Amino acid sequence: MGRARLNWLEMVGGAIALSLVVLALFAPHIAPHDPTQAVAQTFGDPGPPSLAFPCGTDQLGRDVLSRLIYGARVSLIVGVSAMAVAMTIGVAAGLCAGFFGGWTEMVLMRITDVMLTLPGLLLAMAFVAILRPSLLSILLVISLVSWTGVARVVRAETLSMTSRDFVLAARALGASAGRLMIRHLLPNIAPTIVVMAALSTSGTLLLDAGLSFLGLGVPPPTPSWGRMVEESQIYFRTAPWLAFFPGLAILYAVLGFNLLGYGFLRRRRPQ
Amino acid sequence: MKGALRGLVRGALTAMLGLLWLGCQAHQPAALFPPDAAVLRLALADDVPTLDPAAGYDTASWEFEQVLFDTLLRYAADSNDLRPDLALSWEISPDARTFTFHMRQDARFTNGRPVTSADLRYSIERVLNPKTRSQGVQYFLPLLGAADFAGGRAAHTRGIETPDPYTIIFRLDKPDPIFLHKLAMPFAAAVPQEVVERWGDDFARHAVGSGPFMLKEWLSGQRLVLVRNPHYFIPDLPKVDAIVALIGVNEELQWLKFEAGEIDVSSIPPAEFTYVMKTPRLKALTIHHVTATTDYLGMNCQMAPFDDVRVRRAFNYAVNKEKLVAILNGRGVVARGVLPPGMPGYDPDIGGYPYDPAKARRLLEEAGVRQGFAPVVWLTADPTMMILGQSIQQDLALVGVDLVLKPVAWGPLLDAVREPRTAQLFLLGWGADFPDPQNFLEVLFSKAQWGANNDTFYSDPKVEELLAQASVVAEPTRRYALYQQIQQLIVSDAPWVFLYHPVAYVIRQPWVRGIQLHPLRPARLDYIYLARSEAARPRTPSAAKAAP
Repeated sequence: MGRARLNWLEMVGGAIALSLVVLALFAPHIAPHDPTQAVAQTFGDPGPPSLAFPCGTDQLGRDVLSRLIYGARVSLIVGVSAMAVAMTIGVAAGLCAGFFGGWTEMVLMRITDVMLTLPGLLLAMAFVAILRPSLLSILLVISLVSWTGVARVVRAETLSMTSRDFVLAARALGASAGRLMIRHLLPNIAPTIVVMAALSTSGTLLLDAGLSFLGLGVPPPTPSWGRMVEESQIYFRTAPWLAFFPGLAILYAVLGFNLLGYGFLRRRRPQ
Repeated sequence: MKGALRGLVRGALTAMLGLLWLGCQAHQPAALFPPDAAVLRLALADDVPTLDPAAGYDTASWEFEQVLFDTLLRYAADSNDLRPDLALSWEISPDARTFTFHMRQDARFTNGRPVTSADLRYSIERVLNPKTRSQGVQYFLPLLGAADFAGGRAAHTRGIETPDPYTIIFRLDKPDPIFLHKLAMPFAAAVPQEVVERWGDDFARHAVGSGPFMLKEWLSGQRLVLVRNPHYFIPDLPKVDAIVALIGVNEELQWLKFEAGEIDVSSIPPAEFTYVMKTPRLKALTIHHVTATTDYLGMNCQMAPFDDVRVRRAFNYAVNKEKLVAILNGRGVVARGVLPPGMPGYDPDIGGYPYDPAKARRLLEEAGVRQGFAPVVWLTADPTMMILGQSIQQDLALVGVDLVLKPVAWGPLLDAVREPRTAQLFLLGWGADFPDPQNFLEVLFSKAQWGANNDTFYSDPKVEELLAQASVVAEPTRRYALYQQIQQLIVSDAPWVFLYHPVAYVIRQPWVRGIQLHPLRPARLDYIYLARSEAARPRTPSAAKAAP
């Protein structure tokens, strides 16, 4: 990556991502109320947005705004950590497959293909059902179903590098396989990895929201955006704002990481 | 997974419905009947399990069985009072062991043959016969000689006598004050021997009874059609000519069909309930009643710290029951004890445990429960239960208890609560089969039910003694007084957090009249009628198509 000025995609995406990090880190200071306790007597009859509660209150009398702010924590922790784990698995598998070729590639890529044939959400649901929902299990499950795309791209990039002169030179100097991969190949595919990381964060965020929506996310009382949408279904016709705000929050986060990813991509391949 | 992507699904479903409707024009069930026929149109999510009264033991089967067949007695439309059905009158011996019924002589099966006492004896012996594998067998084993008959050692049950074709006498081996209610269950309905023997296990598909309706057509997974029984002995029943129940229409789809005027009565999906209640036009069309059910938070009395009555009482004070009812949008009545309103022995003056977090905190402190105590509550992974669970979680957090929710499926939940020392806390409900307090107090709190229905593993010697006493007392005042005393002991020992009695809702079209919800049973379809104002009814789809 060059040192050129940030493009607008990066700026907007970065600002969104940064704002989420700030919200998550300082949630207790920013949120006006406790996100789990009732602050209004709107039991069974959600309160509309007002000056006191800008996003309204839900059927358990909780402040929706505070829940949104705290919800950023779960989304970011799950989204970013799951992305990190998925990237680690995907990069390792792709590098090995591309570098060693032969049986290693055969086995690794067929596993990848099999994983890709299974719909991610279904696979994740099956895993969560076995493991029982908790922050750690959800994080692992999401990474387990998200690494395959990364592995494929990294393998392709690696393949295109292995016959390049600098690799051949290093090989001729007697560099070991590990050294070749880590010192020579990895830095050269790093820009791709960065793009993939940003883009797959929006994927893991969305998967986390999907799992929460299906009731398989982080267990209550921890606020999560997906669960907020799920719980507000009952009030879809009478209190639409309950589903609107968490939906908007999911959109905001996914959009942010996607913009960031495309910004990085544009930097690599200037048009 | 239900409710995912609702908007999209809804749009797609509407489109599909339209296509389906076009595709099914030729088979419109409405075309089966003359244009002026009064047809009650219903929809069911799942196929009816059975129409054989010896086999059915669920709401859907009973809804139709109770209008295809007759029992000696039936319940009044909206209460637990017993009324004559096949019986005209009856006598009970003072020791509640001999029951004599005088039957009406004008009842006929829909094949034209009169219903006699021999038919009733055959029907009950059929339930007792192990080859029938009926779940109703438990209710008739107390008949004298029932075990001998079931074991193949006797041709008939000694405890059923038929001195003439229209008199039947039942004798029991010990007093059973609620035997009359057992005779009002569909298990005791009269079936014609010759038809049962002709079809064998397939009788459900060719059901012949003596009720107000007869079976016209049952296409598995498609529709069930009942038509008026011309031989029925009450002249003005049933009030409609036919019932068409579409099968395989889930709750959401039922609602769409209801809004389109395609079905006459519908349940209300949870997602639409608040909308219905906030729309005066729709709210006026709802019918509701308090069910004979109590929903509760069970506490395992064998597991610390819930072996300490102070902790159990503290939980009762800590949970805000009024809030739960508000969250249910009023679909519940706060419970103060075990018995639901309408159940004999229900005590409106029982104090129960008002919401009092300060008292709860004090009791927990006395019992030495540390702050941050984190018990696990087992509950079904149902959206409504999850919200109620979170409400209880909120309440308990205020008294220093960090409740952990463990959502599981219904089967594993039942397995877990029946295992000793497994589920500390659990959210369950209990609905009555009979209008008698024994059906709650003995079934749920006697030691004999450990591992079955007594899931709190509660046991108290005084309660055991009183339960044994009360079960054989036939005289109502004394019987119910004993059960009230038992209930007071149980409420004081607090093995449950008494939550609420659910209120059930259905919605009808403006032209549908006469629906009466029963506390124990499905509503009787033979009492429902349609207002004869064509302006109020939309034209049937077949008529609409024929117009151009």
